[in-house]
Formats: sequence, C-alpha cells, structure tokens
Amino acid sequence: MKSFFIRRITLNLLTFVIMSYLIFQLMVLMPGDPLDILVSTSPGISPEDIAKLKEIYGLNKPGWERYLNWATEVLQGNLGYSRTYGVPVTQIISSPILNTFILASLAMALSLFVAIPLGVFAAVKEGKWQDNLLRFLSFSWLSIPSFWMGIILILLFSVVFKLLPAGGVQTIGVESEGLIQLILDRISYLILPSLSLSFGLIGIYLRYTRNSVVEVLKQDYVRTARSKGLSQKRILFVHVLRNGIIPIVTVVSISFGTLFSGALITETVFAYPGLGRLIYDSIISNDFNVAMIALMLVVALVLASNLMADLLYSVLNPRVELE
Amino acid sequence: MKISIVLVLLFLSASAFGKTLRIGSSQEPDTLHPFLSKMIVGDYIYRSVGRTLNVLTVDGKWEPQLAKYTPSIENGKARFVGKGKNKKIVADWEIKEKAKWGDGKPVTGHDVVFSFKVATHPNVPHSQMDDYRNIEKVVVDKKNPKKFSIHYKNASWSYNRMGLFYVLPKHIEGPVFEKHKGTMEGYAKNTNFIKNPTNPGLFSGPYRITDVKLREFVKVERNPHFYGPKAKIDTIIFKTITNTASLEANLRSKTIDMIGFVGITFDQAIAFQKKVKAEKLPYNVNFKPSLTYEHLDLNIAKVDAFKDVRVRQALAFAINRNSLVKALFSNKQPVAYHPFSPISPWYTGNEKLIHTLKHSRKKANQLLDDAGWKMGKDGYRYKDGKKLSFELATTAGNKTRETVQVFLQDQLKKVGVEVKIQNQQARVFFGDSLPKLKVEGMGMFAFTFMPEQSIADFYHSNGIPTKKNGFAGNNWSSWSDKKADTVINKIEKEFDMKRRIKLAHEFIGIYSREVPEIPLYYRAEISVTPKGMKKYTLSGHRFSGTSAVEYWDL
Repeated sequence: MKSFFIRRITLNLLTFVIMSYLIFQLMVLMPGDPLDILVSTSPGISPEDIAKLKEIYGLNKPGWERYLNWATEVLQGNLGYSRTYGVPVTQIISSPILNTFILASLAMALSLFVAIPLGVFAAVKEGKWQDNLLRFLSFSWLSIPSFWMGIILILLFSVVFKLLPAGGVQTIGVESEGLIQLILDRISYLILPSLSLSFGLIGIYLRYTRNSVVEVLKQDYVRTARSKGLSQKRILFVHVLRNGIIPIVTVVSISFGTLFSGALITETVFAYPGLGRLIYDSIISNDFNVAMIALMLVVALVLASNLMADLLYSVLNPRVELE
Repeated sequence: MKISIVLVLLFLSASAFGKTLRIGSSQEPDTLHPFLSKMIVGDYIYRSVGRTLNVLTVDGKWEPQLAKYTPSIENGKARFVGKGKNKKIVADWEIKEKAKWGDGKPVTGHDVVFSFKVATHPNVPHSQMDDYRNIEKVVVDKKNPKKFSIHYKNASWSYNRMGLFYVLPKHIEGPVFEKHKGTMEGYAKNTNFIKNPTNPGLFSGPYRITDVKLREFVKVERNPHFYGPKAKIDTIIFKTITNTASLEANLRSKTIDMIGFVGITFDQAIAFQKKVKAEKLPYNVNFKPSLTYEHLDLNIAKVDAFKDVRVRQALAFAINRNSLVKALFSNKQPVAYHPFSPISPWYTGNEKLIHTLKHSRKKANQLLDDAGWKMGKDGYRYKDGKKLSFELATTAGNKTRETVQVFLQDQLKKVGVEVKIQNQQARVFFGDSLPKLKVEGMGMFAFTFMPEQSIADFYHSNGIPTKKNGFAGNNWSSWSDKKADTVINKIEKEFDMKRRIKLAHEFIGIYSREVPEIPLYYRAEISVTPKGMKKYTLSGHRFSGTSAVEYWDL
C-alpha cells in the first residue's frame, strides 16, 4: 500500500510537470501574444516600444526558456499577474475556485442522491416498464444540452414563477443583512445552476448504477442470500450495493475533475463566476498567467481524483490489492 | 386613515431605499483605471464616475465637462506659436471652480500635469495614447492652480478635443506613482483603481464606486461633491452577464432593469422588440445609428486579383447591400457606401461625389470579363488556369456576421467568385490575422470613426503594417494611393471645418472609386430600457451615454 502510494505520487508529479510543459508550449503556439492585441488597439505605438515591451515580458525568448522562467517563478510562490485585470493571479483565482467547488459539490451530491436509488430501483425492476421508463429518462437527461436546460430553468423558475434569481452568486449588499440571510440568499442562487448541471450527471450515474447492480444481482452469492431467506432490503443494502457501487466510484472521481473545469456553459448561462468561465475567458483574452495556473489546477485535480478513486477501490473492495 | 398611513409608510420606505438602476452588460470591465482599460464597458462605467476636460455629447457636439470652456483660436483662448514646420498651438484651459474629487479636494491643473506625466511614462502600459501624443507640456498658472496651458507639439485642428485625456487625482495616485514608477507596470499593478477602487477621492463624476466584485458587478452611488446637477438615480449597479440569451432572461425576471449598449446582439434586439409589442412588456428597445461601419477589408497585398481595381469594383457591384439590410436588419442599419456614418460631419449622401457602385450583376460580370477572369463551365471564373477564389474571414461565433457571410457567399457565387469562409476567434482575428495582413482574401469587421477623427492611420500608405514598423498601423487593406495620401495630408492640416469637410468628401470620392474596402452597413447601437425612463439617450459614438448619466431618471 505504502509503496503503491509513493509510486503513484511520483508518477503523478511527473505527469504534472510534463503536462505543465505541454500546456505552456500550446499556449505559446497560439497565434497572437498579449502585445499583438495591444498593438491593434493602439495604432500609434512605435516599433521601439513593442521591442522594449517584448524584451521586458520575455516574449522574444524561445518557448523552453520562457517555460523555465515561469516555472522558477511559480516554484518561488510568484504566480504572476493577470494581464486582463491587473491583479495578482492568486487574487483572481481564489473566488472562482471556491464558487466552482461549491457548485460542483452540490451538483454531484444532488445527482448521486437521485441517481443511485433510481439506478438500484431500475435494476430491481429490470425489463419492466419502470426500468424502461428510467432508462429512457436517463438517456434524455444525458442528451439535453446544458445551455438549453439552463435557459429553460431560468424561464420557468425566474421569469414565469419568479421563485429564484436568474443568475449571479448573491444579491448585492445581502452581507449587511446577517449571516443566515446571506447563506439562504446564496443557496437560492445555487439551486438553478446546480440543477442544470445535475441533469446530465444523473443520466450517467443512473445508467452506471443500474447496469452494475443488474450484474451483481445475478451473482451466486446474491442467489445464496435469497435462498437463505434474507429480506430484499438486506440483500440490496448489505450485499448488492457495496459491490454494485464500485464502478460508480471511478466514474464519480473522474467526473469531479472534469466538472471542475467543464461547468463553463452552466457558469456562463447563469452568470456564475466560476473556474470554467475563468479558464475560457483567460484563454480568449490571452491572459497567460491566469490560464496556466487555472489549467494546472484542473490537471492536479484530475490526477488527485484518479488517485482517490484507486484508494477508494481498495477500501470498498478488499479483494483489490494495491501493489 | 389607515390607507393614508400605509401610503406614508410606503413613501418613506421608498425614499429610504432610493432609486436603483441595475444595468446588465455582456462584457466585463478589465480594470476601472480609465486609461489602462481596453474594454468599451470599462469606459462606459468610468464616465459615470469620472469626467474629462471636455467630451463629445450624445448630440454630437464637443462640450466642456471639468473645464469651464473649450479653448479655441476663435474664442481667443488658444494661439499659434512659431512658424512653418515649427508652428505649434498653446491653449489656455481652466477647471470649473466647483470641480472636486469625491473626497472634497479640488480638481486643479496639477492633476492634469500629473495625469500627463503618468500617461506618457514609459513604464505605464497605456493603450489609448491619442490625446496625449500631441502634447509637449502642461504648465500650471502660478497664481491660480485651476488655470493651466497645454503646449501642443503640432498645429493640428483636433488639439482641443480632450475626451480621452483622463484626469487623475494627484493627491491619491501621486504617492503610488512615485513609489512604483521605476518598475515596468509597477504603477499599473498598484494603482488605487485596482487596489482600493472604492476610494472616493478617485472620482470626479456624478457617482463614486462603492462596491466592486471582479467578474460580477460594479456598484456606484451618488457623489455629493459632483460639480454638476445632483444625479437623479441614487445607485447604479453594472452587472456582468456574458451570455446574451441569459441577459434577456435576467431582464424579464427583473434581476436587471436595463441592458446597456454592450449587451444583446442586433437580431436578439429585433426579436425582443417583437416580444415587447406582442406581450406588452414594460421596455423600450432603442436603436441609434452609430459611427461604426461594418465592411469587407480587401487584402490587396496578399491576393493578386485584388490588385486590379476592376475586380474590387466588380465585387462591390455584385453585392446587393439594400437587400442585405432589408432582409437581415429590417432596414434599421443603413447601407454604407463609405466609412463616415450619417451622424458624422464628414458624411455625404451626394451621389455626384460618391461612386456608390450600387448592385448590378451585369456591371460586375462585365468588369470581371474585362479584367480577364472568364466564366468556366463549373460556374466559377478563371484566369491563366487560376480560379477566382479567396477567403472570407470574420470573428467566429458572431451570429450576425456569420449570417451576412452566407448572404455574401451566395451573391458572389452568382458572378462566378468562390468565397471560402474561414472564421477565427476574435483574439486571433484582431490580434494576429488582420494586423499582420494574414487574411488570404477579405476580412469582415467594423471600424468606429469619431466625428472628424484622423483617418491617416487607416487609409494613408504610412499606416500599412509591415514587419519593419512592428505591424503598427491600421491600413489593413495595405491600400496605397498617392492622391488619397495627398488629400489625407491636407485634411490633417486644415483648420477650417468647412474646407475640411470638402476635403473629406474629396477623399470619399477617391475611396469609393478605388474600393480598398467594401462598405456594407452602419451599425446601430442598441439598448433596452424600462418604459418611462427619462433623459436616456444612446450616443452612437466612442463616448458613451453615461457622460450624461446624472440626467437619467426612472
């Protein structure tokens, strides 16, 4: 277990470094550096000014040298400045990380809460109309584009029934009304985006749970448990679910990483300032430092969640040995 | 009795909260520092909290703001000094007695000197140098710090248009600048506009910024020290909602009260106007023709066929611009035959002066035949075995432009020209392809010319970007015409407005005959406001309507 852990950590670190180099070089390869945009907005800027700025920013150096400079700065704790907002990267990135973490966790919890019981239910009713209906629904939820779902939710709950806010993080100035009011207000802003994000996830998890539980239900030990006269409830929750849920762990771990960076559409539709939107905006506006740090954060999260999946595997299934 | 008590309570509660206007915008401000911001929305917000010496009003007139008057040769407040090539101008300005910063300190000539020093410092990454470039020095009157003289380097007629000269508070920004001026971007990273944007002393306008959340909103509240009339609305919140479909939903759910001019797209506005009528929604959809003209830039340097003026003219003849604006824009965006829009003083619709090249497929075919491009069996034209085919590039994801592209592709195919659509992300298109002349054909985009803005950088041969000049200059067609150069040079030096307009019309004649670009239409500025909103007007030009925000009322 210990050697496995050390080996995986080393491998993850190596992957992280390689990924950082590759992402950096891809960013360098993108046409148009920050100064090209500056030149197009200020026609009077002289060639000397451009040369001087390129020298100062190190934009005239080869890619590998720029990467080394950037990596050295990052290792010393200097993540650089956002070229768009003129503030340190740490300042701009902390709030979106927290916002996305809350949104992603809520969406994940909501989808697991709905999908697992429904998946188990569909498996128990295998081949019957309930199973067919749930399979159809899961496929539909999976197929609905999140931007469409987002707009429909806004139209329904914000425009027609006026129950929930259409977008944002919180009501401006709500902090002055006390902590409880602030929490309730923030929850009201989270409901629609997390619902929108959950639909697709419910579709995925429901199908995985159903298929996995169907497989487990056909195992000999389940038949033995039935013949021993154990109740259906006990068979399901003690014997089936523990084994049936193992494949879900992998899917959930992987999707958490992608959810962190891939909530872009939901975040845009609901004007929710999260990490996905920050990554997109920083790449589009050539905000190099922000894009690099945000992307590396996602890489780290994906690697960590994969490692977590492996560890959880061994906890849930004692037959799996980590070597 | 009970009813009157309720009414009194309602009135009191309404006055306690005051009037608030929440404006939605699809663009987010990068920074709130006036001359470090590169976004239009940054300027839109800034003009509600900061004022310049003078500004172009929504009616298209230059009027003083912080200044008591706009100096001119005619009113004796400006004078020529030197002769010949050394001819310069000195203008005497005076700040309004009542002009104060949001902390009550007076705005003086020392602030103007300081602003000039900051803006021109080599370590400050300034992106809008236009109004500073022609200034040699600023000298403050020793007796009255409200008075100062600006010494201009060149005797240019646009000297007294100082709408982009942003005045900074020396007492707040001075110490920051002195501390950080030695390092590149030191000031830009430490300015109070970034570190402490709610410092009231930063603002000279009718409002002061009181709350900012990056990528979410900017809240401004009435500035008690504003020199002008008390703003009618107590609080304005500028909210960022980047998705334009969500903007409309936010408006209808009352999360925002209006959509500013950086908001919904033209087709969305037309569709929303129909909904407003059908559902009797309490909104006005406002359209105003702007100074922005959408056009096709022909890359003459890159495409050999474009070097022949007959081909360029044929392309213009082949496009039915009237039918384009009717079919796609319900005639709300007028056809353009040259760069100067109907609200520009240089505009002319006189067809004796302009080569309108109105739609005529017959003339287009004739010109292409004359140029040696013969129709092949496949319906496309060929010359020396080479097909008449080129790229049409624009900003990817812009629905309006993509629809226009399909229209143009179809129109040009009818005269045997193949157009290949090659769209790019805006950052690549504007940051690389256009300024480095990489578009292998036509680029579709817009330019905005302020009234009587210098056109030298856009149409003079000196404005052609080259590797040697670091790809500076906006003549992205790489059009070089000696006659046009001469007229542009004359415009730059002509102080008499009437003669200047005549020269501009002469330029239009050359431009419309030589077709370095194919003008398509003048864009309309759009906004959605609540019904009953008073004194609100779109400007249609570079200086947004927030220049007169204090008069807006709900």
